[in-house]
Amino acid sequence: MSRFGAEIAAARPRVVAALAGRLRDLDLAEDAFADACASALVVWQNQPPRDPAAWLWRAALRRAIDAKRRATVRERARHDPPEPEPTPEEALMAADQPIPDERLKLIFVCCHPALAPDARAALTLKIVCGLSTARLARAFFVAEPAMLQRITRAKAKIAGAGVPFEVPARDAWPERLDAVLTTLEIAYAQAYEDAALAGETAGFADEVLRLSGLLAELAPNEPEVLGLAALARFAEARRPARLDDTGAMVPPERQDAGLWRQDMIVEGARLLDRAAGLGRSGPRQILAAIHATHCARAQDGATDWSTIAALYDALSVVRPQAAVAVNRAVAIGEARGAAAGLAELAHIEGASGWLPYQAALAGLSVKAGRFDDARNAYAAALALGPAAAERLYLERRRRDVPAQAEG
Amino acid sequence: MQYMILVYEPEAAYATPEGQAKLKDIVGRHMALAAELKAKGVQKDGGGLQGTETATTVATVNGQQTIHDGPFAETREHLGGYYLIDVPNLDEALAIARRVPVIDGGKVEVRPLIVH
Repeated sequence: MSRFGAEIAAARPRVVAALAGRLRDLDLAEDAFADACASALVVWQNQPPRDPAAWLWRAALRRAIDAKRRATVRERARHDPPEPEPTPEEALMAADQPIPDERLKLIFVCCHPALAPDARAALTLKIVCGLSTARLARAFFVAEPAMLQRITRAKAKIAGAGVPFEVPARDAWPERLDAVLTTLEIAYAQAYEDAALAGETAGFADEVLRLSGLLAELAPNEPEVLGLAALARFAEARRPARLDDTGAMVPPERQDAGLWRQDMIVEGARLLDRAAGLGRSGPRQILAAIHATHCARAQDGATDWSTIAALYDALSVVRPQAAVAVNRAVAIGEARGAAAGLAELAHIEGASGWLPYQAALAGLSVKAGRFDDARNAYAAALALGPAAAERLYLERRRRDVPAQAEG
Repeated sequence: MQYMILVYEPEAAYATPEGQAKLKDIVGRHMALAAELKAKGVQKDGGGLQGTETATTVATVNGQQTIHDGPFAETREHLGGYYLIDVPNLDEALAIARRVPVIDGGKVEVRPLIVH
């Protein structure tokens, strides 16, 4: 990235949102912002701006209004006599106003439930965070033309179906906010998975982290928003410890807590405290609390599995999903013994073809001394095509299974 | 913007005596909703369709037209009625679509009309 990359990235959400709000056209807003950035890179070399966001806003708005006017004139020229030459005063007047804060509206538009969830995540990362289509294609494991089509289709739906550029009405707020949070969770899960791989798109998690922080700033009284921002920080805090020297995955309870980023953990804890103060629990807050409990090992020296198991009990009520049930079984196995964990795992139906299930079964079987079962489950997990870091981890655990028969 | 609200329902659900009682209730709620939307100037048009046993389909294949008995698609849910509304945006159209009464298993599709 050029020497002004950080300034441009920081200004982007606010400027693009303000442009979209004024122009009611996402494509035009993105193009105008890109044009303004291109000229900024030239002009700023000699005249660094005092306020980069204000500079980009003025430059982009002038360009966009010019482009719109040219298009209108071209359109009219076919039917009517040409309009009198337009004056640039309107553009100048608008550009001299402070930049309106339309970021929340932009996020609500990009995360509208009328769009498919995976398209919402891609669109939000593209428009709000400025990730390129190529980078998104890599992050979401699809070919670039497919990603481009996904984004184009979502934009066309927004324009064609009349998705409003507005913060939703109070009665629609819970559902709409949930759609936003789900979108961010998808984006974060993608970024998190990415880090366990070769790190081809490293830095993508930072964007989601910033986005969750931005949302917490824009909706400070929504506990689930704060919970998600906290969750992202706790998870990111552990990033430096997630892979060992050989590139193998390290689960949280085995990570070197000395490598965890304490500043992020403190920030996460502050957000989660604020969420708790609002007195409305929810799945993201519970997940954040689970992460917080893992992070507490840095101080306490041991993982508090009883608390984690209790939190998974609560989470499984609001999110009755196989992923939650598997993690709950693992936590119970740690808190109350392998037999209890295996008993919980046995209740989960239809998950045997699923990698996390087999990995959990393998780990609990080792703990229970059922080494043949463990070897079979590791083999099943490895056959399900884990990512490189997880494959290395599972292979090592399989090698470490004692050879003697159980009993 | 004008939006078409298309109401799809499993016809079989209305076939039983219990279904007939539900039909009466649902029709009443349609009438009330339509009256309200008309009074507000939101509803441009709307109506219910007779059952698919009354449907006839004209199919064109290789330029040849043929006439068939029945609806065009063999699905469980069939188009049973529609509302044509004029509201500022999709959120308002969806708010109305949520209020359209349907029997369990019903689906309500919201489609904007082409703007000329």
